[in-house]
Amino acid sequence: MTVLGLIFANSENPLGELTNKRTKSAVPFGGRYRQIDFTLSNFSNSGIRRIGIISRSNYQSLMAHIGSGEEWDLELQEGGLEFISPYSMGNYGVSGNVEALNFALDYLKYGGNEDYIIMAGANVLCNINLAKVLQAHIASGKDITIVTKSGLADGVKKQELAVKLDEDGQVIDMAVDYPAPADYAISTGIYVVSKDILRHRVQEAAARSLYNFHRDIVLRLYQAGQMTVNAYQFGGVALYNTSVAEYFQNSMAILDKDVRHDLFTGNHPIFTKVRDRVPSYYGENCEIDNCTVADGCFLEGKVRHSVLFRQVSVAEGAEVEDCVIMNDTVVGENCYLKNVILDKNVTVRPGTKLIGTPSCPIVIKRGDTV
Amino acid sequence: MYFQKKRCIAMLLAGGQGSRLKVLTENTAKPAVPFGGKYRIIDFPLSNCVNSGIDTVGILTQYQPLELNEYIGNGQPWGLNKTHCCAQVLPPYARSKKSEWYKGTANAIYQNIPFIERFDPEYVLILSGDHIYKMDYAAMINFHAASGADCTIAVRDVPLEEASRFGIMNTNPDGTIYEFEEKPKQPKSTNASMGIYVFNWKVLREFLMADEADPNSENDFGKNIIPNLLNSGHKLVAYTFEGYWKDVGTIDSLWEANMELLGKDPAFNIRGGPNSTIYARNNAMPSSYIDEEAKTVNCFVAEGSEVYGTVRHSILSTGCYVGKNAIVEDSVVMPGTVIESDAIVRHAILGENSKVCRGAVVGGAFGPNEKKKISVTSKGAVVEANAVLQPGDML
Repeated sequence: MTVLGLIFANSENPLGELTNKRTKSAVPFGGRYRQIDFTLSNFSNSGIRRIGIISRSNYQSLMAHIGSGEEWDLELQEGGLEFISPYSMGNYGVSGNVEALNFALDYLKYGGNEDYIIMAGANVLCNINLAKVLQAHIASGKDITIVTKSGLADGVKKQELAVKLDEDGQVIDMAVDYPAPADYAISTGIYVVSKDILRHRVQEAAARSLYNFHRDIVLRLYQAGQMTVNAYQFGGVALYNTSVAEYFQNSMAILDKDVRHDLFTGNHPIFTKVRDRVPSYYGENCEIDNCTVADGCFLEGKVRHSVLFRQVSVAEGAEVEDCVIMNDTVVGENCYLKNVILDKNVTVRPGTKLIGTPSCPIVIKRGDTV
Repeated sequence: MYFQKKRCIAMLLAGGQGSRLKVLTENTAKPAVPFGGKYRIIDFPLSNCVNSGIDTVGILTQYQPLELNEYIGNGQPWGLNKTHCCAQVLPPYARSKKSEWYKGTANAIYQNIPFIERFDPEYVLILSGDHIYKMDYAAMINFHAASGADCTIAVRDVPLEEASRFGIMNTNPDGTIYEFEEKPKQPKSTNASMGIYVFNWKVLREFLMADEADPNSENDFGKNIIPNLLNSGHKLVAYTFEGYWKDVGTIDSLWEANMELLGKDPAFNIRGGPNSTIYARNNAMPSSYIDEEAKTVNCFVAEGSEVYGTVRHSILSTGCYVGKNAIVEDSVVMPGTVIESDAIVRHAILGENSKVCRGAVVGGAFGPNEKKKISVTSKGAVVEANAVLQPGDML
């Protein structure tokens, strides 16, 4: 069975300053990665060899990051990666997933002879074997499979798509944009569907100016009894970055051993663009507690409960607590930082104090000096 | 196939056994021995080539080439996998008339004359795969071209008392070499050869052919080719290199070179310098994790490691684990090695994927003037729980 992967690189819920100049899937995460690395690696590790990336806007840094796809073993003679951008779709802007899919139909039609499509977003971070999901989809005999995650709905946060499952895991209710209660499983944004069904349903919806994939295709057809829905209950860690506060909280979540090992350890590595940085250097007087540290850092100060990306330097006398510090950022002497997200290439002048809160961390824009 | 003419190509001698590295080179060629947390020794000459604009490198392998071949692959990590840039692994091969191993360094180049000829180079740079240094070969090649010499040999000034351990180039005031002495008992000068040569290819080719025809030759650059060039009146000049350079051919020197990376102002600054990135094959490893109870003092920690204990004045390579209350001091921990809780490792080199089980003790502490005995574990070795590996012992 051959499978085509489709990645929606843009999504609603931008991450404030972090998505000012980059598409959400290009937002750095976890010390070494961009959000899209998880989706790309899941596809690559599952043997999917042709992948379309649907990106609407601000995709320069995404394209720079992905390049030829070499790092994900996706630089191939046949297949590989293709960007499906608004320009190549013959339009200057795309308002909904269905419209984007409709424009991508040519790619689906002429590209290859895959039987199935696996669609995924780039803002739910997990390490999942999609080959197993495909097998389960085929075995279920249903029209579409939604990969779901239980235990995350709280009755407050609006979920893009939530389903209620019976004891046998069968879908008995579905809701879209709904603050689903705790007994609902929520979508991970990963869907498996046959190419024929997808093409047919997308054309049909687009012809009626229906643009929301979840509401106008999955929910509408499910309720009308025209589409059978299978749920694949994913048991691993799934981190949803739909707001800056969630991004911050999920960044800290990888300090937990179980979360970290679930995401990164094992036979399915998460690949990312290689940067030839030296190993990180820990100075004579540094104190590093409960941190993840990428390569190339130069640490002389105190850092607690934080995520340090590549080539970060923390000078002597500086104290950093509960922070996310991205590539090439410099924290000067005697600074005090708590609950701060420092984007790439930020310079924090000696003696600066910045204090945010966990639910409202201070975000310093890429390249700024504070 | 179309080959671009090259001004200079490099031939990297990577076939040596490195027997003085003992258990570390039991199953690995010396150039593939890990260094500095995420590198292998061969990354240094290879990266120097790339940083010097040399984009065609022949890598001569012979001893235990499996890991080295796998590591070099198609040369992609160094950007040497393009149409006109290559890192070509050159093992000895069977021929129609006679087949043989590389008999010596000169014979290794001789057997690969057809490879070199394809690029029709003016100059050939001969390198070895067992030194740690950053050097701009382009400056040396330009120096060679300007000098009008047939061969330029890189030298460094060594203390007189150590000179008898090296191949010494005795030079005239204008830098021309009049004599080469291998490990002289009474050295006349302190210009030690670094094993880096630039030759005019036409001249080298002629001497390689003559050397091959001489049944008494050892087919070695230092013993045969250089003396023969001198004796026949060719111009050889010395090129003085002043940066850091270290032969890591012994356990002690390999340990020392790793230790010399440490400190705020290290003897060898692996981070510093424009256009001097050392490239390496990267594995997809996550960031390292440093636990609340961990202590990391004056050390390098490469990606993918987890530290729960103490690491002081040491190199912790990619994908290592240091358990709770474990202590690692003055040591080189090679990739994938596990040091369990309560274990103590001092003055040691732990080979790749080796394991020091709970409560075991490897190596010892030494006074400032005492000779340090380095304990070594081989690749995949296991020091059992509560066992002791004495200072200087190998497993």
